[in-house]
Amino acid sequence: MTAVALPWGQAPRRAVTERPADERDLVLAAQRGERAAFSELVRRHQRRAYVVARSIVINHEDAEDAVQDGFLHAFKAIHRFLPDQAFGAWLHRIVANAALDVTRRRKVRDADELPETVASPFRDPAEGGELRRRLAEALETLPARQRSVIVLHDVEGYKHAEIGKLLDIPEGTARSDLHYARSHLRQVLGAVRSGL
Amino acid sequence: MTDELTGPALVRDDEVTNHLRAIVAPPAAESYWAGLERRILARIERGQDQGRWWALSERAYQVGLLAAGLTLVIAGSVFLRERALERRMAYESVIETPARSQQVFARRGLVPDRQATLRAVTDH
Repeated sequence: MTAVALPWGQAPRRAVTERPADERDLVLAAQRGERAAFSELVRRHQRRAYVVARSIVINHEDAEDAVQDGFLHAFKAIHRFLPDQAFGAWLHRIVANAALDVTRRRKVRDADELPETVASPFRDPAEGGELRRRLAEALETLPARQRSVIVLHDVEGYKHAEIGKLLDIPEGTARSDLHYARSHLRQVLGAVRSGL
Repeated sequence: MTDELTGPALVRDDEVTNHLRAIVAPPAAESYWAGLERRILARIERGQDQGRWWALSERAYQVGLLAAGLTLVIAGSVFLRERALERRMAYESVIETPARSQQVFARRGLVPDRQATLRAVTDH
């Protein structure tokens, strides 16, 4: 941490057409306790954080909980973050851990509840589609890690190595998780397709 | 798309992927994200309050420890003073008794000083 960034309050001195303060400046300002800087980091990263969380948890509500938990942990730990590293990668790992915690809590909660009370997924624009409904169900039956890997890889375009870092698993494990997740979904959907 | 490993299960199924994308898609409405940002910041604020509460509690704990320490020191010194006083009184009670008897005998002029002392000691 050799460079000293301008405080957030001095940003208006820049020309209007200039790019907003870069992420490193924001991180340094947030580390000095400037709330506005951390708010900007939240604004910039919340969508991606949501995607990471949503790939791990079953429904939208849990994803939002995980995002909030993740940002809270990040806020508390920001003084330990090295500004020269990628803030996004650091944050996403925290959010992924928060999402895994939410999943664990939900497992315990669901074990105490009747099957009818299990939360249904958040909005589904084509809820009537049998295939999608069955896919959503099949997704819930996948182990959390396999679910995360298939969503992060196939939907979000993460590489195996990135997934490995994000979920703190070896790259080979991410690869095999993807294999099993695809096999499982294919099996489930094969039955639906043949029945349609 | 195929992956490095072979086998039909490792080939991405585009139809599945499209459905998956729809299932896990983040909300599109800007108002949702503005709301989420507010909720995140409010959560952090609450987290900070809890932190402050713990910090206050820690300060109170330190003050309590200091007060308890001071009380122990004061109580200890009072105890030592009391004990020293008691010892002194006990010592004086032993020393003073013959002295008083000696004085009584001497005052009465019945016996000389040395004899009065000897009598006072042997009387006890």
